[in-house]
Amino acid sequence: MKINKTDIHRINDYLWEIPKSFNQKMRVPARVLASEPLLDAIMEDRSLVQLVNVASLPGIQGASLVMPDVHEGYGFPIGGVAATLYPDGAISPGGIGYDINCGVRLLTSHQNIGDIKDKLEILSKEMYAQIPSGMGKGGQINLSSEEMEEVLLKGAEWAVNHGYGEKDDLAFIESNGRLESADASMVSEMAKKRGTDQLGTIGSGNHFVEVDYVEEIYNDEIAKAFGLYKGQVVVLIHTGSRGLGHQVATDYIRLIMNVMPNYGIEVPDRELACVPFNSKEGQNYFKAMCAAANYAWCNREIISWEARTAWKNIFGKEVEPLNLMYDVAHNIAKIETHFVDGEELNLIVHRKGATRAFGPGFEELPINYMAMGQPVIIPGSMGTCSYVLAGTAKSEELTFGSCCHGAGRRMSRTAAKKQVNAPVLKKQLREKGIYVEAGSFKGIAEEAPIAYKDVNMVVDTISASEIAKKVVKLRPVAVIKG
Amino acid sequence: MKIESSTVEQLFIAGMIGMGNILKEGFCDKDNPIDCKSKIEIQAMDQTCLLIDFLSEILSLSYAEKSIYCKVEFSLFTSNRIKADIFGSHISKLDEEIKAVTYHEAQVRKNRNQQWETLVVFDI
Repeated sequence: MKINKTDIHRINDYLWEIPKSFNQKMRVPARVLASEPLLDAIMEDRSLVQLVNVASLPGIQGASLVMPDVHEGYGFPIGGVAATLYPDGAISPGGIGYDINCGVRLLTSHQNIGDIKDKLEILSKEMYAQIPSGMGKGGQINLSSEEMEEVLLKGAEWAVNHGYGEKDDLAFIESNGRLESADASMVSEMAKKRGTDQLGTIGSGNHFVEVDYVEEIYNDEIAKAFGLYKGQVVVLIHTGSRGLGHQVATDYIRLIMNVMPNYGIEVPDRELACVPFNSKEGQNYFKAMCAAANYAWCNREIISWEARTAWKNIFGKEVEPLNLMYDVAHNIAKIETHFVDGEELNLIVHRKGATRAFGPGFEELPINYMAMGQPVIIPGSMGTCSYVLAGTAKSEELTFGSCCHGAGRRMSRTAAKKQVNAPVLKKQLREKGIYVEAGSFKGIAEEAPIAYKDVNMVVDTISASEIAKKVVKLRPVAVIKG
Repeated sequence: MKIESSTVEQLFIAGMIGMGNILKEGFCDKDNPIDCKSKIEIQAMDQTCLLIDFLSEILSLSYAEKSIYCKVEFSLFTSNRIKADIFGSHISKLDEEIKAVTYHEAQVRKNRNQQWETLVVFDI
């Protein structure tokens, strides 16, 4: 399948559509949220072919969608949203991804960047010492089988109950850090074994812990409500469900691919394997996915505890602790209600590399945020900048209440390793005032800024399309990587 | 990872060795002391899925047992079923963390040179 620019219709400056008539297997149109220069960049890989394939999923509603940070994935594009009709539309593990509930959270401090500049180097080293990172590295907690069951059912609450988190944090986590549909018995023993010693670890790849400061404020009122101010030091954490989640995805993609013919379903790519949500296999996967999502929220809560420990070790007990601003998932499926062609429908919303971005009035939000919209945290690449946005009602009209999740890769890890001299990059970042603590130079090269799209262009597209409002820009000063 | 071999069985072995060498550079090219053995049994819908499921199983065991597997003895090898013993060595640190072995773009087939080949895409 080849998609030419002439196949794509312009709806407005930031929204493009490949009509249903483009391919007979499409059940809905495929839509791209991007400025024209970003659309041209997106067309350089096979993201749009994958987007068209997603439009063929059984029960898909409205349109298959990609955000401006989209890039080619495995079956599903990364940066995509697909909503299928509840309860008998498709659920596809590939539409959530291998790293279930990979997500990001932002902790805020009461300190100003000018006051801690001389301590940044020791802070980054202490963070690196406190937060296990890197390939297959285990953490400080070794879960018994009973504890594992509790983590899978209770999510972030488990960390709070066991002294690894703050009770006040729970209100500031998407779904309060716990999905009620979780069923630990649907998670394989292999997955549980892989997760036994990985709580509180960030892993490798694009996962990181970063110290930033608020460089620019775009919306004073929302920034104030989110507790953000200019010059404030913050900590950004990006990781997911580690080996446990990877194993859940692997187990169920294999299972679902094998049973899919029983439901008369054919898909153009094996990684799109799916079954009806209300089938036995669909339900089992959903319950296991919810359990893995809970593990991920518990993981990020424990990493926050480690970051808080590092903070205390460097600045002393008298300094006010780090507060959780918000925690969002970007690889997950949720049952949500949205309007499609004027009709209110219950939908299974798959977000793979996409963030929920609900507008003002959403009941789950903490009281201070209710009138502002849900915080959306968009990490940029190492050495550039990140953003905090606020979801709007328009996102619910256009994208099933979804937004982008980052800058989006534009170069493979292999290509980045070939092009980037990691020791030189580390030195250049140091000259820009950014300390990098990493387990390997390879990890630095793979995540070099050159490997990513311009996050400013991505966020400006989001802002111009009005699915989220820019609130603040963050500038990194220390990066901890695996 | 692109793998190629004269027989399907050898293609599977090449996949296992190639994956081991990604997890730790050059590990399976060395003569490592074997201190870990596991039994695997896999049934799949076709040969391509069998290969991907075989590699996925080995990857899972690598993490669970903190080992890299470089040797396999098949007791059953058909187009959709495998029974085997795999042999590995414990390791303390990996060079690369592979999240998953994907089915994306995998297709076991014979090429023009009558060699079996496929691409294996890892989620890293």
